Amino acid sequence: MEKVRFGPITITNSYLIKTYRYVNDRLDIREILDLEVFDKLAPTHLGLLSCFGGITFFLFLTQIVTGLLLMVYYIPETEKAYDSVVMITNSVDFGWAVRGMHAWGANLMVVTVIIHMAKIFFSGIYKPPRELNWVNGVVLLLLTFGFAFTGYLLPWTQLSYWATVVGTETPAAIPVVGEFVKELMRGGSEISQVTLNRFFAIHVMILPITMGVFLVLHFFQIRRQGISGPM
Amino acid sequence: MKKEVEIKHLPMEEKKRLTREGKMKWFFPEHVAEQIIICLFLLVLLITLATIFPPHLDAKADPFNTPEHIKPEWYFLAAYQMLKIAEKLEFLGAWAPKILGVASQGVIVLFLMLIPFMDNKKERRYRSRPVAMALGVLAIIGFVALTVWGHYS
Repeated sequence: MEKVRFGPITITNSYLIKTYRYVNDRLDIREILDLEVFDKLAPTHLGLLSCFGGITFFLFLTQIVTGLLLMVYYIPETEKAYDSVVMITNSVDFGWAVRGMHAWGANLMVVTVIIHMAKIFFSGIYKPPRELNWVNGVVLLLLTFGFAFTGYLLPWTQLSYWATVVGTETPAAIPVVGEFVKELMRGGSEISQVTLNRFFAIHVMILPITMGVFLVLHFFQIRRQGISGPM
Repeated sequence: MKKEVEIKHLPMEEKKRLTREGKMKWFFPEHVAEQIIICLFLLVLLITLATIFPPHLDAKADPFNTPEHIKPEWYFLAAYQMLKIAEKLEFLGAWAPKILGVASQGVIVLFLMLIPFMDNKKERRYRSRPVAMALGVLAIIGFVALTVWGHYS
């Protein structure tokens, strides 16, 4: 009987073999599958603390999925935003769950990012040759805070509105460009419809794309350099 | 320690020997299975938290009604408290509070980014890096203290 082997898995089902052959004849995936999956080795010295980068990434993925679902019902308009969030919470099937997971995921993500960074710091993993990936990581931290800051305004509640008033006031203190940065963030002198549109665009498009780019760079460096050895 | 790219291209016999001796393990299925278990646990955690502690939804925003206490989310409380501390620096001049407040945060981010360039010795053991360890612990204590202070101020 014909057989195809993938690491520990042996396939004998002729349809699966045909499918694999069809794909492999066209894309030559065998080499990638072996090197990156089936013949790949993983370190054995890692504990739970070493998993927090991956945990953060998984939380980010859940943020994308729940965020996309929220976006289906959310209306980025000052008069309707709050009501649309109330509707998501009370009327939409499992809307409460999706919103709850998005809110909790955001908070947990900040916690796991901090644990991840602390682990990297105390174990000295940021040292050469990984110093550029640490810088990349700090960028990812700032992007995470950017997500938190812009996402907080979207439900258009008292807390989120006034926290944004204060939060956008802070950069105004920067010498020379401060006022410009503040007006750029607000899209004018006040928090308004323009601000909500801006924060929405940043939260659902600009930051996710930027985050994606820096995540790819983060993972590329890890894949080339490998997981750091035991101390 | 071999480089990742070298490990990747080791001959199969060598890879089998490493896994037999427990020095490495297979990415598939061992490592992947662990990852899936962790992911499922996180999913359960998220759903449980969302169910038992649904997020609070405040009143609708009213630009004409300023609340008495405006506090940011917990992760911004430390930064918020730093700005409040900077307000006490008025004795340096009217310019001081705002500029020093925002500058201190820029300096912290810059410092964070430059850590690997200021400390680039190969040594990784805790005991041989007293300065880094002390700074790390201080940073965490500082963050927690400022957060708690910000919460109660």
